Amino acid sequence: MSVKAFKLVPAVEREMLMGDKARINIECIECCGKNLYIGTNDGSIYHFLLEEKNSPDEKTSFTVTKQLHKYLSVRKAVGELKAASALNRLLVLCDSAIMLVNMMNLEPIPTGARIKGAVTFTLNENPVSGDPFCVEVCIVSVKRRTIQLFLVYEDRVQIVKEVFTQEQPCAVAVDGHYLCLALTTQYIILNYNTGASQDLFPYSSEERRPIVKRIGRQEFLLAGPGGLGMFATVDGISQRAPVHWSENVIGAALCFPYVVALDEEFITVHSMLDQQQKQTLAFKDGHILQDFEGKVIVATTKGVYILVPLPLERQIQDLLASHRVEEALVLARGARRNIPKEKFQVMYKRILQQAGFIQFAQLQFLEAKELFRSGQLDVRELISLYPFLLPASSSFIRSHPPLHEYADLNQLTQGDQEKMAKCKQFLMSYLNEVRSTDVANGYKEDVDTALLKLYAEANHESLLDLLASENFCILTDSATWLEKHKKFFALGLLYHSNGQDAAALQLWVKIVNGDIQDSTRTDLYEYIVDFLTSCSDHELVWKYAEWLLQQSEEIGIYVFTRRPQEEGQDNSFNPDDVMSCLNKYPKSLVKYLEFLVLERRIQKEKYHTHLAVLYLEKVLNLKSLEAERNEELFETKAKLQSLLRESDLYRTRFILDKISGSDLHMECAILYGKLEEHDKALHILVHVLKDFAAAEDYCVWNSKNRGILYRQKLFHMLLTAYLNSSSAEHELVMAAVDLLNSHAADFDAALVLRLLPDSWSVQLLSSFLAGAMRESIHSQRMSQIALGLAKAENLIYKHEKVKLKGDTTVLSDRKLCQVCQTPFCEPAFVRYPNGSVVHTHCAAGRLVTSNTNRHFSSPSGRT
Amino acid sequence: MKPDGKVVLLGDMNVGKTSLLHRYMERRFQGTVSTVGGAFFLKQWGPHHISLWDTAGREQFHGLGSMYCRGAAAVILTYDVTNLQSIVELEDRFLALTDTANADCIFAVVGNKVDLTDSCALLPEAEDERPSEKPASGCVPTKVKRQVHADDAIALYKKILKYRMLDEKDVPAAEKMCFETSAKTGYMVDHLFETVFDMVVPTILEQKAEGPSQIVDLNNCKTAKNTQRSCCR
Repeated sequence: MSVKAFKLVPAVEREMLMGDKARINIECIECCGKNLYIGTNDGSIYHFLLEEKNSPDEKTSFTVTKQLHKYLSVRKAVGELKAASALNRLLVLCDSAIMLVNMMNLEPIPTGARIKGAVTFTLNENPVSGDPFCVEVCIVSVKRRTIQLFLVYEDRVQIVKEVFTQEQPCAVAVDGHYLCLALTTQYIILNYNTGASQDLFPYSSEERRPIVKRIGRQEFLLAGPGGLGMFATVDGISQRAPVHWSENVIGAALCFPYVVALDEEFITVHSMLDQQQKQTLAFKDGHILQDFEGKVIVATTKGVYILVPLPLERQIQDLLASHRVEEALVLARGARRNIPKEKFQVMYKRILQQAGFIQFAQLQFLEAKELFRSGQLDVRELISLYPFLLPASSSFIRSHPPLHEYADLNQLTQGDQEKMAKCKQFLMSYLNEVRSTDVANGYKEDVDTALLKLYAEANHESLLDLLASENFCILTDSATWLEKHKKFFALGLLYHSNGQDAAALQLWVKIVNGDIQDSTRTDLYEYIVDFLTSCSDHELVWKYAEWLLQQSEEIGIYVFTRRPQEEGQDNSFNPDDVMSCLNKYPKSLVKYLEFLVLERRIQKEKYHTHLAVLYLEKVLNLKSLEAERNEELFETKAKLQSLLRESDLYRTRFILDKISGSDLHMECAILYGKLEEHDKALHILVHVLKDFAAAEDYCVWNSKNRGILYRQKLFHMLLTAYLNSSSAEHELVMAAVDLLNSHAADFDAALVLRLLPDSWSVQLLSSFLAGAMRESIHSQRMSQIALGLAKAENLIYKHEKVKLKGDTTVLSDRKLCQVCQTPFCEPAFVRYPNGSVVHTHCAAGRLVTSNTNRHFSSPSGRT
Repeated sequence: MKPDGKVVLLGDMNVGKTSLLHRYMERRFQGTVSTVGGAFFLKQWGPHHISLWDTAGREQFHGLGSMYCRGAAAVILTYDVTNLQSIVELEDRFLALTDTANADCIFAVVGNKVDLTDSCALLPEAEDERPSEKPASGCVPTKVKRQVHADDAIALYKKILKYRMLDEKDVPAAEKMCFETSAKTGYMVDHLFETVFDMVVPTILEQKAEGPSQIVDLNNCKTAKNTQRSCCR
């Protein structure tokens, strides 16, 4: 697995340097801006101008023009070259001395300043001096175990420090005060300012050439045992896992996020992000690999080549194209700090989206979802993969360049129905999740319509939830789709949510009538009733009221009787209109009247009488059917009786006329009761019905809220009815005794005793007598208490009166009336219980105006 | 991202350091090749990021050990319960590498590969174990004689304390810090890492507290003022 991260481009070829002189070799290179310097083994320096050509076909190449070729005075190999562009100087290591030459004409500086006795040297790229007109140079001295630090100015050098090491150093890198040194047997970090040193790890410089390379602030890259590229910070800690090079690595360079290494046969590219080897380029006889301000240059002894990094975006696209999502994302994230923030965000989002589609195509839905979410995917990109889901009216166009390679789901799944179903399942859950979030903002119509289509197609129960809640489904598109999938009930809901209740009802009624088939709801009729009950469009209700009543009188009537409370009185249905409509439906009519009378408690004689008549007719009708529907008869009778009893509005005489002649004695008795003709009523109850319990009840409910006297009168009438019957039936006597004994308190005992036959024993009436006695004593004591309390109250008033009379009231001309604040000019005055004194006319006035009352109760408020 | 604390796995080659880490981080067991140099994972533990360093057990990379251990908050010394030499090596070779670790570094001694000897460890601890993996690992256990026992690990732990010149009272008890695991079945692996992380958190907090605090505690300022006022009075 590899990435194409770099491209090898030749820069300076053999002919441009030494022509056919075989003995001349490249020893070192330096690149600074557009200037490329090459040092050779015969003591000469070449200066080239390097210009990048950006041709449109992405084939980056360089034009190289030779500027100068200069022999140094000594014909020895040029060991190292370093440019100090701020000083316009090139530092040249040759014959153990570092010379300063002019960067442009390569002439030695006139002062001849130089550093002598250097084996190798390096520049401090993180200088500590703070002087922009000098560079800090660190050399490994020819003196044993010595490192020297110099400041190099335009035309002079100055030694700053000399440090000794425990072993001979052979390579050095600097960062600030820290030296990273390759000693003979190990690497160390040395702070030349404090002298503190830190061992890193052992390494044999005899076996292999050490590599010490500063790769960034306070971090170095070192060649470790076993061909490892080890990272170490100035604290001696490794913060990145090592990269694995070959054993015989010669040089290393850094081009974020890659570490490039050179051995005798290959250039290898490792990622610093995941430590994996990403690319291998065959390159024979290489001996120099260095990076200069982001340019990686590699050289053989005869030629110079440039490793041109491919744009990160291109690399990421390559990775995505080979479905290596994870690596692509790691690379993208790693590139964050190298790309301007805005540009990065746009790019990264797109990569996330692309990665999401790759995962999606592999049916890795969880991962895909996460990527879509974090990539803020326009959800329509996903919907558009599914044929026919986007509404025809949608303005969506897929992004260009495309985020994925698929025309549609059919192509993606290659017709595999199972995969297709899984994809649809995923989209369903995904859309359901995002529809209420920001992701759907701006195209809620498209999202909801797509979701509706998916639900309808899959026969998913959430279809109804979607339509019943707030949604943005597009009507025309969705309607066609629902019709196609025979979701007529759902279609009705859709019409409803679009405010087309009439269309919805028309459809539903058709379903109930069996004109079209949809078994979504078995209780669709009840649903329609409910729907119309809460429907505020009265015309619609009227339109379907007949139909509803035809279907079921009992349930259909709910449309009138169960209307929501909040429907105002003024726009509710006129009862007379409703009743005229209900004439054909007697059961409904009864229900409606019950609703008016019992529930709404409308106090209109018309309805009460009507209902009573209807009940009565039904009872009579049922009676004529004999025992067939006994239960219903019983029920209706109970309703009739209750109505007669509770209501005071119906026309009593009218009902009584209707009833007389039938054997509805109880009802008759109730009606007499309403007419205050208690004799007749009790006569019926006692002598015709012989229902003594009912007779007692009659007394109780007729005397309700009417005071004890009325009650006593009724009970007394009952007792009389029992006792004064012409035929002294034993039964009635017993009833009388029971009545007395159980309702002792409801009788005036004196009257009763007068009425009772002398033959009755005390024993028989003991309970009554005891009760009456107790009642009598009770009332006596109650009156005594009342009397006592009244006396006490009287005493209190008397006491107050005496007290008030005892005080003297002084009236002088300085005293002012509390009401009008003027002096008294006549001896008569009024004195209030709280001591305030006012004119008589003011007191009279005060009785009229009550608001002065307040300030007399608190006279202190004025003073 | 800069990790808040470091945990390093040390031990002879082929004791299963990489496998333990894979089991913990990726919830699966996979045959690994010999680790080259080292590798690391970043683990989010509550608000902290802990770096988990896997080191190479091979003699060739031995020299890198002390650099990896530098500044470590915890060191997990790993041996193979079926290989006596592997625990001997810990004392002889690896203990010295921990010289560079933090002074309050926590030590754990872990015997891996118990699935080869104990049947109890064959029961996978991790619930996310894929059913297809079970027969492969649990069907025909080839019993190998155990060469290292729990007592040996405890003895080693005490030697470590002695070497580090730590008092037994100041550090977690030996019984608590000696583990036996199976990277193959997942037995006790989570327990091991979670125990270690929990112990590392206080040191992380301590380190964070040592740094210059960015937060000005208004409550403290107030009390300081108050006391001053009472002094003046």
